[in-house]
Amino acid sequence: MSTTRDLSNQRTFLIDLTKCTGCRGCQVACKQWNQMEAEKTSFFKGEGYQNPATLSEYTLTTIQFKDYFHEGKNEFSFYKAMCMHCNDPACVSVCPVSAFVKTPEGPVIYDTKKCIGCRFCMIACPFGIPRYQWSKALPLVVKCTGCYSRVKEGLIPACAKACPTAIKYGGRQEMIDEAKRRLTANPGRYMNRIYGLEEAGGTSVLYLSAVPFDDIGFRNVTRRPLPSRTWAALRFVPAAFITMGGSLAFISWLTHRKEKIRRDKEMKEAGHASQKGDRS
Amino acid sequence: MAIGCNPAENHPISFKWIEAAIDKGAKLIAIDPRYTRTASKADIYVSIRPGTDIAFLGGLINYALTKNLIQTEYVRDYTNASFIVSEGFGFKEGMFDHWDDREKAYDVKAWTYATDETGKALRDPTMKHGRCVFQLLKKHYSRYDIDTVAKVTGTNKFDYLRVAEAFCGTGQPGKTGTILYAMGITQSTHGVQNVRATAMLQMLLGNMGVAGGGVNALRGESNVQGSTDYGLLFHTLPGYLPSPEYKDETLEAVIARYFPKTKESKSTNWWQNGGKYMVSLLKAWWGENATAENGFCYNYLPKRNGNHSYLQIIKKMIEGGLEGLVCMGMNPAVGGPDSLRAREGLGNLKWLVTADLWETETSIFWKRPGANPKDIKTEVFMLPAAASMEKEGSISNSGRWAQWRYTATEPPGVAKSDLWILDQFHHHVKTLYKKEGGRFPDPIVKLAWNYGSGHEPDVHQVAKEINGYFTRDTTIQDKDKTLEFKAGDQVPAFAQLQDDGSTVSGCWIYCGSYTSKGNMMARRDPTDLPNGLGMYPNWAWSWPVNRRILYNRASVDKTGKPFDPKRPVITWNGSEKKWEGDVPDGGAPPVDDEKGAYPFIMVPEGVGRLFALTMKDGPFPEHYEPIESPMKNPLSKVQNNPCAEVGTNVTCDLNRFPCIGTTYRMTEHWQAGAMTRSLPWLVELVPDMFVEISRSLANEKDIKNGDRVTVVTERGSIEGFALVTFRMQPFVVDGVSIEQVGMPWHFGYAGLATGDSANVLTSGAQSPSSSIPEFKAFLCNIFKGGKGA
Repeated sequence: MSTTRDLSNQRTFLIDLTKCTGCRGCQVACKQWNQMEAEKTSFFKGEGYQNPATLSEYTLTTIQFKDYFHEGKNEFSFYKAMCMHCNDPACVSVCPVSAFVKTPEGPVIYDTKKCIGCRFCMIACPFGIPRYQWSKALPLVVKCTGCYSRVKEGLIPACAKACPTAIKYGGRQEMIDEAKRRLTANPGRYMNRIYGLEEAGGTSVLYLSAVPFDDIGFRNVTRRPLPSRTWAALRFVPAAFITMGGSLAFISWLTHRKEKIRRDKEMKEAGHASQKGDRS
Repeated sequence: MAIGCNPAENHPISFKWIEAAIDKGAKLIAIDPRYTRTASKADIYVSIRPGTDIAFLGGLINYALTKNLIQTEYVRDYTNASFIVSEGFGFKEGMFDHWDDREKAYDVKAWTYATDETGKALRDPTMKHGRCVFQLLKKHYSRYDIDTVAKVTGTNKFDYLRVAEAFCGTGQPGKTGTILYAMGITQSTHGVQNVRATAMLQMLLGNMGVAGGGVNALRGESNVQGSTDYGLLFHTLPGYLPSPEYKDETLEAVIARYFPKTKESKSTNWWQNGGKYMVSLLKAWWGENATAENGFCYNYLPKRNGNHSYLQIIKKMIEGGLEGLVCMGMNPAVGGPDSLRAREGLGNLKWLVTADLWETETSIFWKRPGANPKDIKTEVFMLPAAASMEKEGSISNSGRWAQWRYTATEPPGVAKSDLWILDQFHHHVKTLYKKEGGRFPDPIVKLAWNYGSGHEPDVHQVAKEINGYFTRDTTIQDKDKTLEFKAGDQVPAFAQLQDDGSTVSGCWIYCGSYTSKGNMMARRDPTDLPNGLGMYPNWAWSWPVNRRILYNRASVDKTGKPFDPKRPVITWNGSEKKWEGDVPDGGAPPVDDEKGAYPFIMVPEGVGRLFALTMKDGPFPEHYEPIESPMKNPLSKVQNNPCAEVGTNVTCDLNRFPCIGTTYRMTEHWQAGAMTRSLPWLVELVPDMFVEISRSLANEKDIKNGDRVTVVTERGSIEGFALVTFRMQPFVVDGVSIEQVGMPWHFGYAGLATGDSANVLTSGAQSPSSSIPEFKAFLCNIFKGGKGA
């Protein structure tokens, strides 16, 4: 499914969670740029100062808080949840109406005019990102657009622009090199892993962290691009459809024909025309 | 070291630079009663009981002295460590000598240096004399041993040692450390002494005036740095000039009282020029009307008759002694202590004016929950104000950089800039006085006011007047140069300001910010100096005279060689006889030169004061307990700062109020909340008032995370949600576990998101020097449930 293409200059985020202070400047900048509604919240939903609880049709990125005690020390960590803008997106692959597009610059965007609200993408996404517009009568799917409207004008995404500390944005190879440089320069500071480097076949959002990724809510996702898995099944669909469908139809026809032959024979022997058909 | 501050949450942009330093190998130490977002990024976090910062810092001073980690050359040459102290100073059982029990004050003038017959201070360069500052300092802080400090602060001893080793280790050559602080240490009945302690520690370690060093206040509300620079505090005039009191009958009296001469030949003693700045200020205010003959209209300056700080104003208002009040971007109903009394007090006003972007609790005090508008006679005017990006002007940051900004968008509706509002006040009051006369109209009627004739006053004219200009053609002799100026020329620097009426300057420290070359504050050239220390001399403009590091003469030894050759702030070029690098703190040659000068140019001695001569509550910071405290002071018999204003509704009844209460701010909201609690995207993040408590306190009171709770103090009670967290821990004080309750103070009854105000709980106990209330430490109790439960 995936062709070999040069991703080295693809626009990529490097989010260094050891530098994130959980200020939520990114969350607010995203709301402002996309003019999303503020959700009605109460107190906090989750650990620390978490609000809203999770991504939704109104919230395209959140800082997830982790507030716990580990080996006698406080851990207060922050993780920016957002669309990973995969190199080989599952959402692009499964969408029956091709509403999703992986742009050459990198962001995975979608055309709301094409969306039919079938939610295949929600099921397919290994990171659980796309959200459904439960509040609307004609619901569509919503997710982070990678600020494509800004990126294609040569600007950086709103969250990256607002962030004073943790988010860097640039070419994929440049971001990978920077991540590796940091891991080498300060090995004691980081988990030796770049999340997003190989997950789902590689994504446009790379994370570095001080604490184990599992501890702060990152999913363990396969390294194979999702479409390679889904395609493995989906490519058989037409053949399966034709083969199974055709076979079943033939068996059905055969069964009915056998029955018909038997009935015709009975009618001949009985010498009467049957008024009711058999239900077989 | 971040003590009494939380930069990650309250100065998020500053944190970018803190992280840049960490990337280069710096270690961040966070000292805070709770584990904050700053603590989460720190290399060392230690907890500290609110109000015990002097014990903590005194312990570090003692550690540096006893382990000999001080920078000896710096201490000997650049501080008053070697000065001999007269017999007027003494300290016994918690009190300094010369306490007047009737006045309830110390006779500060008794704490002097021992002097020779000419009045010059006696010194012992070996610092061994029993009465020299160094020995007295050692003796005073010998009582701050680690066990005692741990007992007072509740800090774990092992953790405290880690901090001591790390920070006191910066006294070594080639190493440096900076102390960041904010309201956590200032909002205390010994707030000024807290900050003094940080300065003393830094001087002992040789960290003042060097790159990466210093005592750095994180200025809060933008533009608080600008507001104190321009004399908005009651006790200063613009440029930190003294506001004269009733006993300062003439300008000469002011100059004699506040701008002393020095006996030290090598001391620059810059304040001796104060008279020139006073005259230039008076010329700015009364223009042509201010002449040498009439003492430059000094008689028009109101003479202060005492303390008119915020709390005294509110107290007077509560007593019914104020007719009217103007609150510009100020919200006494939420921002000051003892909110319930303050709100009631507003009802005693005949009229109230508020200027703000939204309705504030103060502007709608008359219809607050529980109030009957029919009973309140106050006439309230609400003036809609423009936001910062809707007006042009400068903002001064924590590094004293004044950065000019342009109008990004016009204000909505009829909202106006503060400049327009003040201009209108001036215009109408002046017209009324001219028409109707009055008891003494001259100071108003004769005001010079040259800001253009447009609808909006010209902020550039204001800025130019602040910088200052020549009123007549002037010739000035500057060493071997003759400088010629024409009437109307901008003054290039405050060294050229005069006391003969030939110069105008609205604020001497900003002289140089808007010169004949243009608006220096609007520059945005990101080129750094060759020393690569991040000074960016052509990016905006910093006072004074674009000097980036104050006291930088202390970064070189007496021959002018940098103590740290890898980070040379300034270097003396002996052959060309000039300084290179940052703007030097005075152009004089290094100390050893015949015409050399000491580094601390703003004090008469020219050297840093480890022993203070003008502090109301003592020359050395001494630990006293906060007014509402859970324990007896282990350091001495004196429980509280004897000079502190206590107020009446305070208590130490641990039976009713067994927990320590403290307040703080969050990233998501701003001060009293007027600016943020009506913005849906911020309200989404933090919609409700809450308090943070430890899991042990929660268990004790049967409180679960998210429960409604009530917090009570002697002043009142509030409700909120309980946030139960590992980040709050009890303090072990004398073997007993004392819990703490922490809360943000951003909430009030006005705006989109409402909630109870933390300041309903706090007391009006004040620091004697600054009059700042003790917001950070009080006693409270917490119960499950509330009216909204």
